[in-house]
Amino acid sequence: MAWLSAFKFRLNTLGIVLIPVCIAIDWAGRSIDKLLNLPLFLDSIGTVLGGILAGPWVGALSGFIANFINAGTVDPIAAWYSLVSLGIGFAAGIGGYLGWHRRPRGWIALWILVFLVASIVSTPINIGLFHGQSGVWFGDGVYTALVKAGVPIWISSYFDEASVDFVDKLITVLAAILIFQGLPRRYRSLFRLYEPSDDQREERTPARA
Amino acid sequence: MARGISLYVEGQSPLHRVHPLTKGTLTLVIIALAFIAPSLPWVLALGLIVLLLLASAGVLARFLAILAALLFPIGALLVIVQGLVNPANREVLVPLGPLSLYREGVLVGILTAARLADLIGATFLFSFTTRPADLAETLMQHGLSPRFGYVVQSVLQLIPQTLETVDRIRNAQQARGLEIRGRLDRRIRAFLPLMMPVVLSSLVATQERAMALEVRGFGLKVTRVTRYRIPDSVGQRVLRWALLLLLPLALLARLYGWR
Repeated sequence: MAWLSAFKFRLNTLGIVLIPVCIAIDWAGRSIDKLLNLPLFLDSIGTVLGGILAGPWVGALSGFIANFINAGTVDPIAAWYSLVSLGIGFAAGIGGYLGWHRRPRGWIALWILVFLVASIVSTPINIGLFHGQSGVWFGDGVYTALVKAGVPIWISSYFDEASVDFVDKLITVLAAILIFQGLPRRYRSLFRLYEPSDDQREERTPARA
Repeated sequence: MARGISLYVEGQSPLHRVHPLTKGTLTLVIIALAFIAPSLPWVLALGLIVLLLLASAGVLARFLAILAALLFPIGALLVIVQGLVNPANREVLVPLGPLSLYREGVLVGILTAARLADLIGATFLFSFTTRPADLAETLMQHGLSPRFGYVVQSVLQLIPQTLETVDRIRNAQQARGLEIRGRLDRRIRAFLPLMMPVVLSSLVATQERAMALEVRGFGLKVTRVTRYRIPDSVGQRVLRWALLLLLPLALLARLYGWR
């Protein structure tokens, strides 16, 4: 259960200061997405980046608070999805703690984990608020087809949400990892204390990516 | 062109003057009641109360404009999809062969959309009339760690700054020949060149900000004293409990056949 040690509470001032920055990055991602007119949300890049960089608490808190900020400004329904962002932040934080962002195989693992968390946590909320729909044309088309074919509501609702999250979270995780790789090493090393200490590490290569 | 993101509208109405906790309770209770209420007339009645409250705060026109933009797409989707495939569907309303809309589903869609309208109205009731700084202050006076009070306050300043940076970087990258229109793959490829500089510039400032906060005693574990007290009263405290009491009552009524 090595991943549980990712949750040891180590939130120093730098971690706290990073939370609003991650939320602002979430907003920047969404506004660039709108600028380029892409058919995705891309509004959790900051959450994933915060998780990778500074552990599950920074990721989860920035996701959680970001949804309430959205609720008070542009999207009143967002507050009810704050648990989803909380989960995404935790997932990214655990992945980052385990160093998944350094290996291509880990990239896929991180994507699958974030995707599963997002789609599974969203489904009950979709059922409660929207009778199982996700509110995205493409996903709701999937929902309609499945329910018409006699699939139970819960399962149709899951596939509705999953069909949207599958691509969205791929791009989100990929963007967050590429941004992480592009950060100056000096900057990344500021957050070394959120990584496993050296004696716990199974392999420690001198040239870390 | 620094534009704030807060929706707060300056005003002197009773709703503006009420304690943020009272408004927060009101918002949550209205939303819960909208989803407990069993049928469309009740949900609409609740919506009417929300509209009256918004009108009393002088923000009705602004609200209706935002509501239409938010509710129309999702409402249309709900009515169409539920009309097509809701399991309760029996009676055909619009006969279109395999794409017939059914009466029961359309009604379910309308009911759900009305509930969402209540939810949106109740949320805006809060955000239109509450200054974000007051909210953070209230939360801190009721036990939220001041470090999180800082997070809430600073994020509201940071987001407009970041959006401005996005604008600046878009101009700079376009001047260097970045294409942001055209085919989908080209637009996707433009994402990182726009995103990367925004992220870097906002991250680089964090270390300095952390040090500036540290030297001002940000990390100290001491009790903070506030000079600014948000006025609260016994009447409001009673009102908050009365509002909360409505929820178990409504649930009980629902159990005993409220239709």
